[in-house]
Amino acid sequence: MRSALPPLLLLYAALALALASAPRRAWRPCLGLLAATAFVTITTPPPWHEGVFVGCWSSVAVTAAGGLICRTDRQLAWGLSVNAGLWSGALAAVTGAPLEPLAALPALGLLPAAAWALRHLSFPAVRVMSSWLVAVAVLAVTLACLPVTPGYLPDHLE
Amino acid sequence: MRCEILLAAAALTVSGPAAAHSGTGLPGGLGPGFMHPFSGLDHLLAMVAVGLWGAVLGNPLLLALPILLPAMMVVGAIAGMVGLPLPPVELGIACSVLVLGGCVAGGIKAPAWLALALVAVFALFHGYAQGRELPSAADPAGYSAGFVLATGLLHLAGVTIGHLNRRPGGMRVTRGLGGAIALLGAAFLTRAALS
Repeated sequence: MRSALPPLLLLYAALALALASAPRRAWRPCLGLLAATAFVTITTPPPWHEGVFVGCWSSVAVTAAGGLICRTDRQLAWGLSVNAGLWSGALAAVTGAPLEPLAALPALGLLPAAAWALRHLSFPAVRVMSSWLVAVAVLAVTLACLPVTPGYLPDHLE
Repeated sequence: MRCEILLAAAALTVSGPAAAHSGTGLPGGLGPGFMHPFSGLDHLLAMVAVGLWGAVLGNPLLLALPILLPAMMVVGAIAGMVGLPLPPVELGIACSVLVLGGCVAGGIKAPAWLALALVAVFALFHGYAQGRELPSAADPAGYSAGFVLATGLLHLAGVTIGHLNRRPGGMRVTRGLGGAIALLGAAFLTRAALS
């Protein structure tokens, strides 16, 4: 079975980058919404396995695109948190690993670092990192939609 | 002058074949994906050269290039994965090293549209080569994440080196590095054309 950890890590990292430009008072409600929606969806797994992976990677792209915006307002931050919670819970449910979202939580540690970078660095590191996450997520969605990539060529022993 | 000749001779001595895109059956996962750009000198030099050139060009390209480069590489990788035809990739990659190194060496301040177009086209070639090789056996998503991260970091390394330009004599160092990269690019191009 495929691991849910890589998409979860990147989803939470993308969320942290997007929330960094949101008002500080919105952080706690956002994290609360994330935990609550993840908990609800873990208990009710959706029936489509592969679709959840694609949905989670698409969600990484959308959330990271939120980090490209100069200022995330409160409503957008809430929406991104609910979306991340839904997909992370669904992914944990279909892979049968309900503790994977907890293992991915350290990625949210980027939030204070990203907020600091936004305030103090002249180089827009948050937006650059968000764009990289968008790139990775788009590639992952494409990979999920392709039956086989041309790089895999069996050698003479296979 | 003598220093430059020695530098050029050294560059030609250490230049090997364009090696980032040889072989198949790559191991999957984040670690191998992260290490892959460091294993091929052509890709590594092109990414560093883009960073160096970005530092020469200054804002707004200093921000635009690190965003454009991985994005266009992903477009190239998708084109490679679905098997879209592209002109000889090895020649394109070698050209990218030569041209980008030359732009740094010449301290060329190209207009923004031209710089973006050049980097976008070259990124397509690099991404295409990686897309053709992307392993499906194990964790291709982790592999691509590691690869994009390493590519971005190589680019930022170039930008960081390019910050030497603000110091006295720094521009000379940057342009010297660009010259060395261009020489290696010429060597790659010769090999690619002969093979």
